Amino acid sequence: MRSLFFILLLLGGCTLLQPPPQPAEKPLGPGEIVSAPAAEDVLSIGSSTKADVRAALGQAVVVDFSSGHEVWVYRERAPEKPVEPPAPRAELVLLFSPSGILSKTRVR
Amino acid sequence: MLAACGAAQAADDAVVVTALRHPVSKSYDRMVAGMELFEQRRHLAPGAALRFKLLPRKRETAMEGVELEIAANSVGIALEVAPDRTFALERNDAALKEKAKVVPNRKAGTMTWRADVRTPGLPPDTRRLGDLRLECEVGMKAGLISDYPPSFFGWLDKLLPQGPSYCHRAEPRYLFFADRPIFSVTLVDGPRREVLSVDRLYAGASRDAKWKKGLRYCDCEALIDRAYFVPLGDASWPDDTRVELEYM
Repeated sequence: MRSLFFILLLLGGCTLLQPPPQPAEKPLGPGEIVSAPAAEDVLSIGSSTKADVRAALGQAVVVDFSSGHEVWVYRERAPEKPVEPPAPRAELVLLFSPSGILSKTRVR
Repeated sequence: MLAACGAAQAADDAVVVTALRHPVSKSYDRMVAGMELFEQRRHLAPGAALRFKLLPRKRETAMEGVELEIAANSVGIALEVAPDRTFALERNDAALKEKAKVVPNRKAGTMTWRADVRTPGLPPDTRRLGDLRLECEVGMKAGLISDYPPSFFGWLDKLLPQGPSYCHRAEPRYLFFADRPIFSVTLVDGPRREVLSVDRLYAGASRDAKWKKGLRYCDCEALIDRAYFVPLGDASWPDDTRVELEYM
């Protein structure tokens, strides 16, 4: 009985000594990415389709024009802690031709 | 010419005699005031001349064969519209005295207007920031810009009460239109380059998920894929700054 008590005490002590669990990272929202250059690297001008891009990067902010062209915008996630002065969030802008194929990209 | 074939209109445009019931028109004296401002401020674009430009406001607006005249009770001066839809205006004392209007043969709401200031000799697909600054000032002085309702895009400023000083703000929402749909706009001053945020393109549509709901109120309706803002009032960019346009 006494041994069991000491084992439980030891386990409890170990629990107290462990670092507190890290808060789970907030999931990316619509149009958010972790890194604009890394996201651009997984795309292929002239062959990536809208479905390919959506599968790779998630939902974008879409500006679609009557010409059939679409501009898709992703922005890097804002920092958890606001910085002063606020830094502009890097953005990845994609252009799809009316055929639905990625035709241009830029990172800012 | 236009004046010869129509009936006098209702009270507020009684001075205009035109074939159209509701023509799009601009105040001649305000446009002349814009010309005078151009002369006062031409150091912004010393090598440029001032023209005005007609642009379609609706996709279905036919821009071929646009005729334009300065029209008042006893004045009817035909203006020559160039193939690029620009025209020059001259001062006419009789037209000023009679509060003339500048009237194209198109209905209200089908076209919009801008000042057009272009320094010759620039590389292709390039504008000059000083030219755009002067376009904004003249456009605001001449009353060329259509107003936006308060809710339009949720963030565009009301322009009508503003004068040319509006253009001196760091971030005025004065819309410029490229000749073709744009993908990117870059400011270049020597080694300094800045790609403008996509929020400064397409009238800021990327900032507002409901942008299409307000589109019909914007004079950019037919040209939204060509529309952009530039930081006109940011003095760290000199007038000779190149504004490089990359098209779709």
